[in-house]
Amino acid sequence: MGFLDFIFRNKPSKSNFVVQYEKFMIKKQAEFTPIDQLNFTILDTETTGLDIKKDYIVSFGAVKMKGYRLNLEQSWEVYLDAPLQNEASLKVHEILYPIEISPLKDFAADLLKYIDRDIIVGHHIGFDLGMLEKILKSFGLKQILNPILDTQALAIRLEQGPHFDRRLMRKGEYALDALCERYGIPLDDRHTASGDAFLTAQLLMKLLKLAEKKGIKNFKDLMMVY
Amino acid sequence: MSNVIFNRVKEFLNRFPPFHFLDSATLLAVAQVVEVRYFSAGERLFQKGDPAQDYFFVLREGSVHLIDHEDGKDIIVEVCDEGDVFGVLALLGKRPYILQALAKEDSLVYAIPVSTFDKILQENSRVSLYFAAGFASGQVVVRRDLSQVQKARSEFKEISQDNGLMIFTGQSDMKFSEDVLCVQQGTSIRQATIAMSDKGVGSVVITDAKQFPVGIITDKDIRNRVVAAGLGYDVLVESVMTTPVITRRKDAGFAPLYLTMIKNRLHHLIFTEDGSDQSPVTGILSDHDILLSQGNSPAVLINALMNTWEVSEMAQVRNRAERLLKYYLENEIGMEFIANIISEINDIIIQRAVQIAKKKYDEAHPEASKVKFCFLSLGSEGREEQLLRTDLDNAIVYEDVPADQAEAVQAYMLQIGNEVIDILLHCGFEPCPGDMMANNPKWCQSLSQWKQYFSDWILIPDQKALMHATIFFDYRPVYGHKALSDAMTDHIYQEIAGKSVFLNFLAKNALLNPAPLGFFKNFIVEKSGEHRDKFDIKLRAMMPLADLGRLLVLSHRVVGINNTFRRFEKIATLEPQHKELMLEAGKAYEILMRMRAIEGLKSGSSGRYIQPDALGKLQRQLLKNAFAPIDELQRIMSVRFQMEYFNR
Repeated sequence: MGFLDFIFRNKPSKSNFVVQYEKFMIKKQAEFTPIDQLNFTILDTETTGLDIKKDYIVSFGAVKMKGYRLNLEQSWEVYLDAPLQNEASLKVHEILYPIEISPLKDFAADLLKYIDRDIIVGHHIGFDLGMLEKILKSFGLKQILNPILDTQALAIRLEQGPHFDRRLMRKGEYALDALCERYGIPLDDRHTASGDAFLTAQLLMKLLKLAEKKGIKNFKDLMMVY
Repeated sequence: MSNVIFNRVKEFLNRFPPFHFLDSATLLAVAQVVEVRYFSAGERLFQKGDPAQDYFFVLREGSVHLIDHEDGKDIIVEVCDEGDVFGVLALLGKRPYILQALAKEDSLVYAIPVSTFDKILQENSRVSLYFAAGFASGQVVVRRDLSQVQKARSEFKEISQDNGLMIFTGQSDMKFSEDVLCVQQGTSIRQATIAMSDKGVGSVVITDAKQFPVGIITDKDIRNRVVAAGLGYDVLVESVMTTPVITRRKDAGFAPLYLTMIKNRLHHLIFTEDGSDQSPVTGILSDHDILLSQGNSPAVLINALMNTWEVSEMAQVRNRAERLLKYYLENEIGMEFIANIISEINDIIIQRAVQIAKKKYDEAHPEASKVKFCFLSLGSEGREEQLLRTDLDNAIVYEDVPADQAEAVQAYMLQIGNEVIDILLHCGFEPCPGDMMANNPKWCQSLSQWKQYFSDWILIPDQKALMHATIFFDYRPVYGHKALSDAMTDHIYQEIAGKSVFLNFLAKNALLNPAPLGFFKNFIVEKSGEHRDKFDIKLRAMMPLADLGRLLVLSHRVVGINNTFRRFEKIATLEPQHKELMLEAGKAYEILMRMRAIEGLKSGSSGRYIQPDALGKLQRQLLKNAFAPIDELQRIMSVRFQMEYFNR
């Protein structure tokens, strides 16, 4: 279990690819870039559970979108060798064995290369980011430096206004299934990382069009934090 | 690379032509290079005149209109729904788009790179043929067009897995004789022949001492092997019999039995207890039995009708005709042929019914029965389009008689009409809800009264007159003196010639039901959970076409063509400038007839209501294509007849 020692080391040294990534990310996205010129990486992870500390990523899926076009050739799907797979997660995700096992280091390096300077998008993205950053931490990266956009937050902002009190939200109202249904996105097989990333990407396109109609025109408007 | 996503795209594409022609690996390769694009309602995918993109498109979700822009007006050329392929001119190289594509709703579109598909076009002949057919007919959306009815017909076959043989229904209908004439070996031909003659059968089975079959002798064998061969009548049966015999169990199932006979060129198949020739004979099946008891040939049915005076037997034959119809529909037999055969059978039933009625009443009415009359079929039967036994519409016209005889003659004619209707109802036809039948005194009238009716309708074309016109103008003589119906036709054209405003009213009537072009649009909405209605194929699609056909025929003074699709064919020759459209309309009508008949047979109904979501993609496309000529014809007619109307 050599790589576990690696994880629990207090101050991991920075891997080369992390150093490169941090240097690369110094250049920021121009604020007035219009929405249809922005690059998005839409991702999702499936994990062994909901505890970021204890659980691990089983599979990862991502697609890229620019100008309301998803290029499927650039989609990416990885199955990771999770240190433990508990039965409960197997039931949810029905992943019985990893299809293409990637050593974590390769995955971390590939991930940083893949996300480029894109805006990272996910549904309830905080959780996925936490999971990914746990992996990246072991290679010396404290946090992902890309701009982050949560489709759940975006949907709430567009539907309820920016100052909506989230406590008023009905449970499940902004879950991915509910939103897809509301925005007429055909739900096929859910609960695979790539499948959900694909759905989230389609949702993102609809939400962005809606955002544009509401006057959210560029990077700055889109990433505004209230 | 994400296989999950590719597979999703692949599964979607695989549901639609031409992608379903591709093998799994090729389709996956296509799915991998797809670009998913999103357009919100009102956005343009491409503009007329733009150079073709490096992609062509498949609509995944939503609605896209292809619009032509001419003389400052936008004309919707096509409404694309899920699975439709458009923007395919890109496949022909960098030509500019000839139409504008506009997202009518928020739409997800799969863009497929031309570079990838080019290769497939070269390698897969079915795909290239598919596109070639589309390009050749100038389609802007690639889908099967009406000229490919032949191919599409095979799709309908999937409705039932029945093959041709299954028209011979199950075993229960299989008639064969259980009482088999057998003689033992050692019998002379003379004795065997006498036994055959006594029993009135054409074959004799030769058995051994244990009663097991060893051979068979038929009439033909006696002719060829005994008499022509110059043998004496004392020769023993075993020296001329056909041996060994092929035997089966009688419960082996009709299709295998029939196939055995065909394969072995047998005229007779012998049944034994255990199916082998080492067990006693239990029956014999002859090809004649098959022909008579299961006869699938129209000739057999017609022959059976001609040889019976029994109403119950006529009813049986008509039921068998329905099986014949099913068989024809499933085997892609041309609609004109089908309609001819079924109309012929219906006509013979009517003729027979009139003869039965005459037999019954003529003696009691020596004078009235001499009056010439003609039994007319009206409406769809009049147009020779009635495949299913839906509403009866018919009438009687008789020659004018002196006033003092009028009452007695009408009474006789009504008796005939009553009897005929009665027999037809027995044969499974449905009565006309509007009582437009020969047993209604109003529609059992003298020639001059009929002329008066037509004159009135033509002179005062109110709503009711127009309704009558749609039924009574499609009359066809079925029995009796055709001269009477010819006289009616002459009269009608004379009247119309004087009062052409009638045609304008008829045109107005024909335009009452607009083409259901929006239907599939609604259908998309229906899927997401609103009202799910069935579609009235008769009212919304067939009636408008039949009305238009009638209108055109009347306006061109065409006589003697009653079929709607033949009417359009005829008009195509009279209006060469609309030739294509008329031919399309005729084909569309054929398709609608076919769909209705299939639906009717499937659901045991009139077939009038079609459930859109029960239709396959291809049938929906076909139906949708069938609507297009209605719309175009209605637009032309509206200009042609309303203009004249306003100029008056």
